[in-house]
This record gives sequence, structure tokens and C-alpha cells, in this order.
Amino acid sequence: MKTHKHLIRCNICEAVNNDHKKIEVCRRCQHPISKNLNISYHKTLAFLITAIILYIPANIYPILISKQLGINSESTILGGIIHLWEAGSYPIALIILLASVFVPLLKFILIIYLLITSKYQDSSSRVDKHKLFYITETIGPWSMVDVFVVIILSVLIHFSGIKIYPGSGATAFALMVFFTMISALSFDTRLITNKGNSINANT
Amino acid sequence: MLSNQELDNLIICKKCHTLHEKISLHNKGKALCSKCNIVMYQEDNKMIDKTLALVIAAAIALVIAFLFTIITINIKGLEQSLTLSSLFVVLAEHQQYVVGVMFLFLIVLFPIIIIASMLILLTLMKLKKGGYLSKRLLILIAHLRPWSMIDIFFLSLLVAMVKLFDYANIELGISFIAFIFTLILDIIVTKSIGFYELWKLHNEIYGQINEDS
Repeated sequence: MKTHKHLIRCNICEAVNNDHKKIEVCRRCQHPISKNLNISYHKTLAFLITAIILYIPANIYPILISKQLGINSESTILGGIIHLWEAGSYPIALIILLASVFVPLLKFILIIYLLITSKYQDSSSRVDKHKLFYITETIGPWSMVDVFVVIILSVLIHFSGIKIYPGSGATAFALMVFFTMISALSFDTRLITNKGNSINANT
Repeated sequence: MLSNQELDNLIICKKCHTLHEKISLHNKGKALCSKCNIVMYQEDNKMIDKTLALVIAAAIALVIAFLFTIITINIKGLEQSLTLSSLFVVLAEHQQYVVGVMFLFLIVLFPIIIIASMLILLTLMKLKKGGYLSKRLLILIAHLRPWSMIDIFFLSLLVAMVKLFDYANIELGISFIAFIFTLILDIIVTKSIGFYELWKLHNEIYGQINEDS
């Protein structure tokens, strides 16, 4: 009774379901629960790769462009953080550093770790991995802070002499956050629970 | 294989996925996960009325937050104010369509849909009508919850204000205060009523709808 093996939690309505091989929808909300864990695995991986690719232009291209008396100056995410740090506003620099550099990287690493350990047997505990996944889901949207700050600044600093506007880095960054969130949402927690077995069967 | 009744008596912790058997709680009791100590479910016999009141207040605050000026800055006599409509005008002017559309959904549409669905859902539950509609609304809210980023928008607003602090005078608008109220009410609502409680109330009010097919 206390075993977890044949029970799964619907991630939409949180109902406990029997995990028989022929289950297709959640018994309460009819949300499809895929029979094939491979689909979830590959979806997560595909979205993750898209996000990692988008992370490169997000860092290379300027996220913020300011136009002062006809002169353009561009700043990337890292450039902006360094600028803030030099200007002495350490708390803001830390918030931006945390939200736009550490959170996405942490998410990439956590999802990769969870995907790899679902393929191979390992000794780490399931409870810890469930907690890691919970963290991944919770911190996800907070990396949008930088994009929103740029948008708010572009509305407020909108005079004839000086203008700030979002660069193409902002678009790439917003899409990156979007894809990491989809990646985390398409990760099936059964990949943690029954590690190895059902996945290796038909790869 | 367990029957539906047996399954209803079980709960899996959302954080650490530990399986628990449910115990009955006295009024205003809370059940915590034995492994990671987060609240799994709670009991309160006035839950619908309390939450409905909070959601109505949150809806009013949200409407005010979206309609009026959030902040106004003043740099050497030049004034510029931030409202939701000016935000979309500026984004369209700079041709940032992707960011604009994402902003529209994440900050405006999803929070409005979530609050409106909560309002309709709780009203239906109070009147004990519309079992099917309330079930659809519950599923809709569950799908949209992770995508509502109004709290993150508020943090960004604070960051932007600190950045502008040295150069400009900042005046807080009506919407700024309304935003604070929306966020506080939202936190109280999510703390006091989870999906577990909503589904339990749904089952109690409309009976077990899921016939085994």
C-alpha cells in the first residue's frame, strides 16, 4: 500500500492515479497521461536544446539600447550588470545577476541532470530529485525580471533627447525563458520515479 | 489496482512526491508533509465564502491596477508616466512584437483570466450549480497558474525604480498601490485554497462525476 510504484500524480489536478500500462487520461480531469515516457523525455530535451541555443543570442545581442542625442549605446546583460556594479548599486546588480544569469543556468543544469539520471541507474535519492524538480519549476519565471525592467525603462525614458529601447537580446531572452518553462512543464515526474525500466525498453 | 475511493484517500506531496494516506482534520487544521513539511491540505468549513471575498477584492484591485497610472517620473521638468496602454504603444513603436505579445499574455491576459475564472468558479460552487463548467474552469486555472507573472512584473517595477532613483523624481500612481493589494490578496488566496481543496469541494458539492468508462 505504501509503495509508490503503481501510483502517479496528475500534474494538472493533483489527483492520485493508478499507473497501469493502458492508462491514457487522468481519472478526474481527463488530462492525458502519456503511456510512453519517451515522448516526455524527448519533448523536454528538444525544448531544452532550443532554450540553450536561444541563450547564446540573448547574451551576445544588446538587451538595452539607449539613444542620447543621436548617439547609440548598447548594453548586453552582462555589460549591464557590470555597469550597475561599478555605479555602486550592488543589490540591483545582484538581483539581475541572480535572475538573468544564475537562474537560467541552474535550470539548464538541473533539467540536464534529471534527464541523464532518468536514463541511467544512479544512487541519488528520488525524494531529492523530486525536490530538485520542484525547485526547477518554481524558479523558472523569475528570470523574466530583466526583460520586464527593460520594457518599463523603455516606456519611462521616452523623450525627444534621450530614448531607451529593448534590443534583439530581449526577444531572444524572453523566448529562452518561455522554452525553459515549457521544457520543465513537459518533464514527466515518472521519469524520476521508475528510473531506467520503461525508458530503456524502447529507445 | 486500487479503486477510485481508495485513490481519493491518498495524496502525493507536490514537492517531494511522498505518498501519504489522508487523515481527517478538525476545522482550521492543516496537514503537513512528513518529509518536507509543506502544507498539503487544510480544512476550513467557511473556505468558499472567505476565498470568494478575497477574490472579489483582488479582481477590483486588478482592474484599477490595469487602468490607471502606475508611476510617473519627472526629469528636470520633463514628465513621463507608465500605464499599461502606453507600454504597448511604446513596444509597438520600437517594433518589439514578440516581447509585446508575451507581455500581453503573461502580465495582462492570464492574470485576468485566472481571477475571472476563480470568481465564476467560487460563485458557481456557492450556488451549487454548473458542475461541468466549474470543472472546466478548475482545469483552465491549473493550466494557466504557472504562466501568470504579475508578481515578477512588480519586482521588475521596483528594480526599474531604483535604477531611475538618481536621475528622476518618482511619483507613485494609483495603480502602484492597487498592484500591491493585488499581490497581497493573490498570496493569501493561493495560501488558503489549493487545488486539493478546490477539487475536494467540487466533489462534495457536485458528487462524484467521473463514471468509470
